[in-house]
Amino acid sequence: MTENNTNENWEPKIVAFVCNWCTYAGADLAGISRIQYPPNVRLIRLPCSGRVNPFYVVKALQEGADGVLVSGCHPGECHYLTGNLSARRKFAMLKRFLSYIGIEPDRTMFTWVSASEGEKFANVIKGVTERVKALGPAEKLIKAL
Amino acid sequence: MENIEKQLREEARKLLSEKKVDALVGYEQGTLPYQAAPCIITEPEEADRLVWNPFCSVNLAKYVHDLIFQHRESQTRTKPEDRTKKVVGVIARGCTTRSIVIHLQERQYERNEVVIVGVPCTGYIAKRKLFRALEGAEPLACAVEGDSLKVETAQGSKSILIRDILSDSCLTCRYNNPVISDINVGEPAPPMNPDGEYNDVDAFENLPTDERWAYFTKEMDKCIRCYACRNTCPSCYCKVCFVEQSQPRWVGVSVDESDTQVFQIMRIFHQAGRCVDCGSCVEVCPMGVDLRKFLKKLDKDGFDLFEHRAGESLEDPPPLGAFSTYDKEDFIFEP
Repeated sequence: MTENNTNENWEPKIVAFVCNWCTYAGADLAGISRIQYPPNVRLIRLPCSGRVNPFYVVKALQEGADGVLVSGCHPGECHYLTGNLSARRKFAMLKRFLSYIGIEPDRTMFTWVSASEGEKFANVIKGVTERVKALGPAEKLIKAL
Repeated sequence: MENIEKQLREEARKLLSEKKVDALVGYEQGTLPYQAAPCIITEPEEADRLVWNPFCSVNLAKYVHDLIFQHRESQTRTKPEDRTKKVVGVIARGCTTRSIVIHLQERQYERNEVVIVGVPCTGYIAKRKLFRALEGAEPLACAVEGDSLKVETAQGSKSILIRDILSDSCLTCRYNNPVISDINVGEPAPPMNPDGEYNDVDAFENLPTDERWAYFTKEMDKCIRCYACRNTCPSCYCKVCFVEQSQPRWVGVSVDESDTQVFQIMRIFHQAGRCVDCGSCVEVCPMGVDLRKFLKKLDKDGFDLFEHRAGESLEDPPPLGAFSTYDKEDFIFEP
């Protein structure tokens, strides 16, 4: 990440943890619909947003991600019925806690994108990328060694 | 105070001689005059070792869990029908009973495996505050006299108001009387000041982001990763803690400061909705890391978002183990 800081054409690296059933399919739809969105995001497919351990988010930030996005099915539409509802509780606390210790709130984003929302997926990625770009390269919690 | 101590010994003797408990966890006089150490007694004659004074600090629920699990472990090679249960008695103040409630909610042991001797609590002395009040002098003998502590040092004797050196957790304690108990000793203690509970957190929240990060890193720089906070925490009972897991290796062990920060973030976050604010981690920390400021935030959010106070009652499920369709969603990003 350090080489990134000096680069004038710095582009943020964003890690997105997405659920297999909604957001990943939404990303697929954005792809086959040829909707353009910034290439800064790296998708990691998981079975459910409830599968996302809060540690994944912290670890991604430590390993050099400039931003982390977690996205799953809309509440009530979870493939596993309630996975995203328990995820919502976890992330409500995680986001508040990370902001509290001084990590910018815009570095950790949570959203819902369903399989039919290709357009929304592209907009989410645009929005997140813009916000992380505005913050600049991540400097906190980064592992230097 | 002495009266409670007498009653405690009496109850302990009775429980052990009637074989209602196999072991009883309490406090005994430590090796230093300003210390009360946890002790485990198994014979009625040992009941006189028990003490109850403002130096009884660490949360004993941890020892209850350890004893029960050690016993279970020892029976892995016993035939299932021959296995016995071990009943552990514990001398418990408000925070200890709340930790036991958390253990019971998380199905660590059955209610009939623990006998709770509830004691009203007026707070314990934070050793760091005592040392600060003594300005570096070594206490040679301590005695409680009413609401003050008489300390003998090499430089002479000094009387300190106990209220001034109580732990921060105790000053704003909401549950200084046991929330569950089998036997109660003493009269219910007068309430502390729970209204000021989140003053520290509120003040910290209003600081600019970078100042908060600077404070967090400053505090975590002190951490030497001795894991004393984890070892004393009743809510940290995993058989294999994530810090020691190597497949996958969750958190690095290098000298890089981010490794320590990540360890602390995750240990603290594991207490989301489970921290009873007993202050044991702060009390045992050899480096004086201000852990409470961060743990208290989770406590505040738990109440703010889910109206849950850790270990308040057996019926109230832990917040991250439950959900509702009506949970707040203001943090969700909408483009």
